[in-house]
Amino acid sequence: MLKALPADRWDYNTAAHLLNRAGFGGPPTVIERLASLGPDDALSTLLDYEQYADPTPAPDWAKPDPAGVKQLRDAAKNASPDERRKLYQQEMRVQFRRLMELRGWWLNRMAKGPRPFQEKMVLFWHGHFATSFVKVRSAYYMWRQNELFRRLATGNWQELLTFVGKDPAMLIWLDQAESRRPHANENFAREVMELFSLGIGHYTEKDVTEGARALTGWSLDRLNQDYIYRPFFHDNGAKTFLGLTGNLNGDDVIARIVAQPASARFITAKLWNYFAGQPPSDGLNIALAAVLGENGNNFKPLLRIMFRSEEFYNPAIVCNQVKSPVQWLVGTARVLECDLPPTQICEGITRRMRQDLFAPPNVKGWDGGIAWITTTTLLDRYNTAALLIQGADIPKARLEAMQQMQMNSMAAGQPPAQRERVHVGGVDVVRILSPEERTDKSRLVAALQHRLLQSALKDDQARALGDFLNARGKLNDADIRAAIRLVMCTPEYQVT
Amino acid sequence: MKNEITLQTRRQFLRTTVLGSALSWTVPAFLADTFAALHSEAADSATQIATGKDATILVVLQMAGGNDGINTVVPYTNDYYRKARPKLGLTPQQVLNLNGEIGLHRALTGFKDLYDDGHLAVVQGVGYPNPNRSHFRSTEIWQTASDSDQVEKYGWLGRYFDNACPGCDPTVGVDIGGQTPQSFFAQTPTGISLANPQSYRFMSPGRFKPGQVDLLEESYEKMNEMPDDAPDANSGGSIGALASGMPQPGGSVLHFIERTALDAQVSSEKIRAIVARVKNQAPYPATKLGGDLKLIAQLIAGGLPTRVYYVSQGGYDTHVNQAGTQDRLLKELGDAVNAFVGDLKAQGNLQRVLVVTFSEFGRRVAENANGGTDHGAAAPLFVIGDKVKAGLLGRYPSLAPQDLFEGDIQYTVDFRSIYAGVLESWLQVKSAPVLGRQFEPLQLV
Repeated sequence: MLKALPADRWDYNTAAHLLNRAGFGGPPTVIERLASLGPDDALSTLLDYEQYADPTPAPDWAKPDPAGVKQLRDAAKNASPDERRKLYQQEMRVQFRRLMELRGWWLNRMAKGPRPFQEKMVLFWHGHFATSFVKVRSAYYMWRQNELFRRLATGNWQELLTFVGKDPAMLIWLDQAESRRPHANENFAREVMELFSLGIGHYTEKDVTEGARALTGWSLDRLNQDYIYRPFFHDNGAKTFLGLTGNLNGDDVIARIVAQPASARFITAKLWNYFAGQPPSDGLNIALAAVLGENGNNFKPLLRIMFRSEEFYNPAIVCNQVKSPVQWLVGTARVLECDLPPTQICEGITRRMRQDLFAPPNVKGWDGGIAWITTTTLLDRYNTAALLIQGADIPKARLEAMQQMQMNSMAAGQPPAQRERVHVGGVDVVRILSPEERTDKSRLVAALQHRLLQSALKDDQARALGDFLNARGKLNDADIRAAIRLVMCTPEYQVT
Repeated sequence: MKNEITLQTRRQFLRTTVLGSALSWTVPAFLADTFAALHSEAADSATQIATGKDATILVVLQMAGGNDGINTVVPYTNDYYRKARPKLGLTPQQVLNLNGEIGLHRALTGFKDLYDDGHLAVVQGVGYPNPNRSHFRSTEIWQTASDSDQVEKYGWLGRYFDNACPGCDPTVGVDIGGQTPQSFFAQTPTGISLANPQSYRFMSPGRFKPGQVDLLEESYEKMNEMPDDAPDANSGGSIGALASGMPQPGGSVLHFIERTALDAQVSSEKIRAIVARVKNQAPYPATKLGGDLKLIAQLIAGGLPTRVYYVSQGGYDTHVNQAGTQDRLLKELGDAVNAFVGDLKAQGNLQRVLVVTFSEFGRRVAENANGGTDHGAAAPLFVIGDKVKAGLLGRYPSLAPQDLFEGDIQYTVDFRSIYAGVLESWLQVKSAPVLGRQFEPLQLV
């Protein structure tokens, strides 16, 4: 189990597989470079991301704002119910605008940033701890949790679980902030075991209620927007949690959970599934959990062994994972060396494809895998390809209204103040294709397959694409863009 | 002439939906704006009047999150109820009385009307042995109709499709919302998923007239044909669930997508034609659920050969400050279903349609310290239709502390006997092959 892939099997295809899974894919030049480095150095360029500076500045609102909280509180206190509603609506509009900015901020880190593997781990933890803005309602808290995932992306399991438990967004999301003796709220206590660390069958209902009692006191200071321990909330009685008895507290709960053998099994299975695209066999799962344990529950050594292993490059794994919507979008930008569309458009794209960042459907996160694909989401992918590759003309006024979150004026169908349109999306074919590839149709078909797919098109598909190009006569850029879109409108482009 | 009328309608439809509603926020709506309007004529010429079918239709309505059944169908005269719910308890003035002991939550006026008209049955105390309090596990149990200690791969509706509808049109099962429900998971994946019918198509910027071929779209169709060497339907891309609902393909991922691509192609034309042609016959509330049911009513009126529609309403996980949230959700539910029934009645299709609701569990009898309730067990569900056995079915579980199990009421009706009743008397198939064994079918109609 987990034997290293022999260096002589390292080539363009394995390098592409690594880049697709441990990152978001890339153009042929990047893959060629990874292939030439050999497996260890190639892996290091992704995993040892600390060597690359990531100068992305935080959004300017990403800090606690006690004065602002207090101001809103005071204003609400003295307001009539109507005025109060207006105040909160105004505040929500501000938060939504920031959320949109945050989504763009993160998507661009994934699409353009120097540390794709770190961002891929942030995306994993976001899906794992599945916290939603819909209940948290603060862009600052969502950003803060995102930064926590970035800081501990490949860090220590117990440290991560503890920080997540004390994270403001999580304290709100699973009601821990409100939990107090004598009627502890069980939400976080249950989900931390069921969904974050152990899985059903490795704890009892009694552990849920006792764990909830022990966790009381972990709370949120809503004025200073930070974690706070409230001794008055804490249940000081004796509890028995996962076999340990005493006046346990939240830290004891997390430590006890991580000490369960089921915990390493649970999280390594989930990591393997995320990167390999299918659950590990029992034997492999045991081996992965052992590696995590041998390395003091630190993730980076485990991940290095995982990505270096023969199992990871097994033919049953390669090219057999559905791209998540975010992977699809960000990967397209990387592979075609183009920019993402404006944030307000990206937001709609990922929402329609069912991966609304910072708003997972529930605390279990996204199911992933083939659940990404339905008749609806597949057609959405095909049509979004048109937007990204061929581009669309969008009224400027509408784009601006979206940015300002002026939903009401939009919904009322007000005529746009101006008729001016902005061209959004569209790929620069001159940048990614040589003059020969742009004129010679068979070379074009070959170049597009090489860049966009890890596999070849089926004969019938290649023929259909050839027929399309032949019918166009002498090719112009629009024809080439249409051909790129067609390659993206295949089942093959949806997998990696 | 006929063609001209549909053309007008379609243009109007495009105008209102693209510019005048929240749909204008979606990317394909931009594309619709850019591309689709250019060749709406072509799409209209393809519009055909689909033939209606006479078969019965089931609409499954999921109330996701675990609805508090005790405050939905309220035992408002019960002392134990008032004791367990000092803050959340509803007074006689806050319920819509059904029989002097039990009343509907005051927000369910839409359901009360249906009840009075003989269109609504309340099945009390529905659950299953050894209830699980995890959202995801309990949802999985409901979706797959398994015992609580068994993991079943396929969904109960998926097994119905496998058993009763081999080789059916993919639209035999339609999920509104874009996410295949676990109950549809099947040996042979059947069913489509639909969110916005307007963008349920391959959009092409080609400017073309009726009769002219759009080369791009034609090429797309060819590039999405099933390869000849694809495994046949029964060995190919089945969908099954792992424990906790993570779907797994039976064959390769690629085969599964190829199949879905074909289903999308086949169903897209038909659905767009119906939506462009058929008008709803009753007003709907402007809610998400209202919109979803409105679309279902259109598809029913348009004669889509669908046997099962699936629609979901979320937000019932009320651990904190339950009162306001549940009020809003139940109002949305009752009003939307009431409008749906009115529409079907006006269409003359009500006698063909049965709506069954479910939620993964009810909630704890005692309220918690946060004005909410925690995960519980049994709860009532609703069956709505023209000829349902209207009234209160089954028995309300005892709320007496000695009768509770870990703080929860105990079920009196196994949900699978409701499924058995639906399968046998409504969908007219034997239930044992679908449910794995014979459950006593509950008489619903």
